[in-house]
Amino acid sequence: MLKSLKREDLLRLLETLAEQYDLQVPLKLPDGTRQLGRYGSGELSLCGPLLQRKPTSLLFPQAELLLSINPDGSVEQPHPAEKPLALFGLERSDLAAIAFLDRFFLCEPADDIYQGKRENSLLIGLTGFAGENSAYLPPAGENCDLELIATADGWLGCAYSAAGKTLLAPFPDSEAKERTEIDQRAAEPKTDSLLKAASRLLREDKVPDAFWQEIADRCILCTGCNLVCPTCSCFCVQDRIRDGKTERSRVWDSCQLDAFMREASGHNPLGTEALRTRRRIHHKLVADVERWGEIGCIACGRCDRTCPTGIGMFAVVEEMINQFG
Amino acid sequence: MTATLTTCPYCGTGCNFYLLSDDDGRLTGVEPAGQHPTTRGQLCVKGWNAHAFVDHPDRLAVPQIRRDGELQSADWQQALDLVHDQLQAIAEKHGPDSLMFLSSAKVSNEENYLLQKLARAGYGTNNIDHCARLCHSSTVTGLVETLGSGAMTNSLSCFDETELVFVIGSNTTEQHPLIGSRILQAKQRGAKLLVADSRKIRLAKHADLHLRQQNGSDVALLSGMMRQILRDGLEDRDFIAQRCENFAAFAEKLESYTPEYVAGITGLEPEQVIAAARLYAEADRAMIVYAMGITQHSHGVDNVRAISNLALLTGNLGKPGSGVNPLRGQNNVQGACDMGALPDVYSGYQNVADPEARKKFSTAWGCELPETKGLMSTHAIEAAATGEVRGMLILGENPMLSDANQGMVKKALERLDFLAVIDIFPTETAAFADVVLPASCYAEKDGSFTSTERRVQLGRKAAEPPGLARTDWQIICELLQRCGLKSDYQNPAEIMAEIAALTPSYGGISHDRLQGHGLQWPCPDKTHPGTPILHIDRCTRGKARFSPVDYRAPHELPDRDFPFLLNTGRSYFHWHTGSMTRRSHLLDREERFAFVEINPDDASQLAIFARQQVRISSLRGSITCRALVSEKVPAGQVFIPFHFTEGAANALTNNALDPESGIPEFKVCAVRIEPC
Ligand code: SF4
Ligand code: SF4
Ligand code: SF4
Repeated sequence: MLKSLKREDLLRLLETLAEQYDLQVPLKLPDGTRQLGRYGSGELSLCGPLLQRKPTSLLFPQAELLLSINPDGSVEQPHPAEKPLALFGLERSDLAAIAFLDRFFLCEPADDIYQGKRENSLLIGLTGFAGENSAYLPPAGENCDLELIATADGWLGCAYSAAGKTLLAPFPDSEAKERTEIDQRAAEPKTDSLLKAASRLLREDKVPDAFWQEIADRCILCTGCNLVCPTCSCFCVQDRIRDGKTERSRVWDSCQLDAFMREASGHNPLGTEALRTRRRIHHKLVADVERWGEIGCIACGRCDRTCPTGIGMFAVVEEMINQFG
Repeated sequence: MTATLTTCPYCGTGCNFYLLSDDDGRLTGVEPAGQHPTTRGQLCVKGWNAHAFVDHPDRLAVPQIRRDGELQSADWQQALDLVHDQLQAIAEKHGPDSLMFLSSAKVSNEENYLLQKLARAGYGTNNIDHCARLCHSSTVTGLVETLGSGAMTNSLSCFDETELVFVIGSNTTEQHPLIGSRILQAKQRGAKLLVADSRKIRLAKHADLHLRQQNGSDVALLSGMMRQILRDGLEDRDFIAQRCENFAAFAEKLESYTPEYVAGITGLEPEQVIAAARLYAEADRAMIVYAMGITQHSHGVDNVRAISNLALLTGNLGKPGSGVNPLRGQNNVQGACDMGALPDVYSGYQNVADPEARKKFSTAWGCELPETKGLMSTHAIEAAATGEVRGMLILGENPMLSDANQGMVKKALERLDFLAVIDIFPTETAAFADVVLPASCYAEKDGSFTSTERRVQLGRKAAEPPGLARTDWQIICELLQRCGLKSDYQNPAEIMAEIAALTPSYGGISHDRLQGHGLQWPCPDKTHPGTPILHIDRCTRGKARFSPVDYRAPHELPDRDFPFLLNTGRSYFHWHTGSMTRRSHLLDREERFAFVEINPDDASQLAIFARQQVRISSLRGSITCRALVSEKVPAGQVFIPFHFTEGAANALTNNALDPESGIPEFKVCAVRIEPC
């Protein structure tokens, strides 16, 4: 059942959510970009371009304390959050990324830190005419608890989980009965076909080493492509001793760094920039397909935006297809 | 998650990012500013890790005073009283010029301004300087003479419009990564790239022409190129006639720099010199980009003059996509110079020897000011070693690792009657201090910073300082108050108001106006939009001046006993003396060990294998570090970054100074290598 919401209804829904959850909503930042932040802590920016900071960083932050070991050997866990998280304002790629991370972190043995945040959390999609200058964002579907779809004159609410249904219950039914009635999504976005074509080229081994060398020569090792990627899940562990207490944290890692795979002897199975560049693309387009049955890039475009030298995923994929496709 | 927009604390590119913090106030990461004109949603690896050192357990959190030979905790009152009493006692007994103040290119404009005020008005000496002495003092001296302003003439956006970039003595993708990436992008869109660097840096792989001239032979190379340009008639005659002076004397000097003569000095082929001249001069809009490879020589100022001459000769000044573009290293080295943390000028390069300027500042500050220019930092260290300088206050610098000839620096610091150090970490220099004062780092304070393109922008507080640490400006205010000077500034914005009132190029700058993307100086009044390109219709000094120069060899070249040329600098993953980056997990993990780059031919001749520990010695000292066998350095040269205390490059370097700028010859000295 679809619900119909006016702007006031939506604001009322936010108030309700904020009572029960640690509600994170898109906020407008001083330089004009948008990112998730706590409801009430800044200017709400419901619609607009892709969120600058990947929303997955709220579930898996760049630096995160895991535990502390006291001088007497006892272990302390960080205090749990008071309320579960609610992430509001996610578009289809954001939700696909969270689904991707869920599968990785929650498969056995589950990552308890991630699980602690994800359990009881609520994901709220915001799609329809909610993009930059009211651009159309395809509906997200069942990767969320509930979805709000911007139409010309209001919002359609669509619940996918019990929690989502409860939250939408107070609002009137809409005239549209099925979400598909307003779903204008093209059969398959162009990005998907590009990724598939590139994946095929790699699996068929049509891309020579010289290509990777040429791309790698343009990489300045900023690590940005990994850090902004919502499906990158690699982290390393950092220990610091403060007043006799060991603080163990995890921090985002990057496969573009030499030390990512370097062994204590100094030997490195990914010892050249060309190999590491190849891995960055290969992992998403081949290794993930082999492991999970689907491509690991959800086509958010963040790595292309953050790569200082223009060799993000789609730039590389396009060059690869041009040269070898 | 809270997001605080601020300015990167590492290089002079001036990227902006958000520091993200959690509910406990702990920093959890960095996100680049998506709309900032320099940043554009992109950062280098140091920017992406700029949160990582902030809450490191090694942060200094309480003032310390040396008692019974050991640094021990003290309270602020005691520590500040002691600093003031000691400095004042030394000034009274031995004269104010027996004191030296070292300011920092890492602290804000407001803090630099206050420290030079403290030295001049508080303790009566112009003995104030900072690490620009070690990086771009040659630029300031050289370009002030030829153009009237020592700053980058153009803006970073000019890389989008240029036809050719000539990079000489700058490993841009490693040291100014977000400028290096713009150069790579310019190359991708079809601009030409000329690289002159003895090392095979990343940009060299993309260059239309890569010249591997001998370190220290730049004047010969540039003179040879200019002679060729004149012979080919590729000079810009209108520009020379209308905008320049002293052309004839300059042109005469070039005569002897034939391609063959230049080839003999530089180790290049004569044809390469000719090709480079044509490549550069045939572009309508060409940018010269340079850094330490040009400035850090005993003839650094001459190198800068030659660069300026080349731009003038081809009319590459005062228009988009052109110019003389020294890349300033530290996030605020431009600002520290602008603020007068220099021995000869007040803020805005107003000369201490000029009675008018002195009167202006002495009226504003309400006290008499010293007339004679002060000591450069490099001379001050020498003077401390001989006992002429007796008291020193060092704010956020680490000369034990950053200055040439560590043995002499150590002697100097040991000999001081009194040393006070203000810093965020217990540095190698702080180990010699009588008093150590804990400071807030960039993430824990507000203030303004000036990037290499003269963009003044804000840094904002995102976290609380550790323990009792205070901001540098608050610490300096305590000393100003003890000197009986105005010290009741409520915040850095108030300090900036005083700076603007006294500094014409910052006249229109206020913290309110710096919200957004900042302002590029000169910004003389409250409605001025800032100045992206300098010297458009006339130069700051009026006519641009051709400054004739002759090649002079480096002070110390390889010989039989010390057969290798030692080149020093930085690596991509670490910053200067490593106090921040070696405490940032990913950066430290990437480069853990002191190393020396050595060419495979040399390595095999010396039977040195990769990652082996080797001993390197010069006339001044000896260190050990790991061999990194690499084609990056040419045969006959080795390269060592100066980040590592356990293999300190500056134990080896030569403190031969440029006679005008006082910069040491970090780029050339002679060493011997042995396997250990
Ligand atoms: S577009 Fe880039 S950042 Fe986004 S999911 Fe794909 S690889 Fe990751
Ligand atoms: S974002 Fe681009 S430059 Fe940075 S590491 Fe990735 S590929 Fe290299
Ligand atoms: S390029 Fe410079 S300013 Fe930009 S992130 Fe890197 S170190 Fe910071």
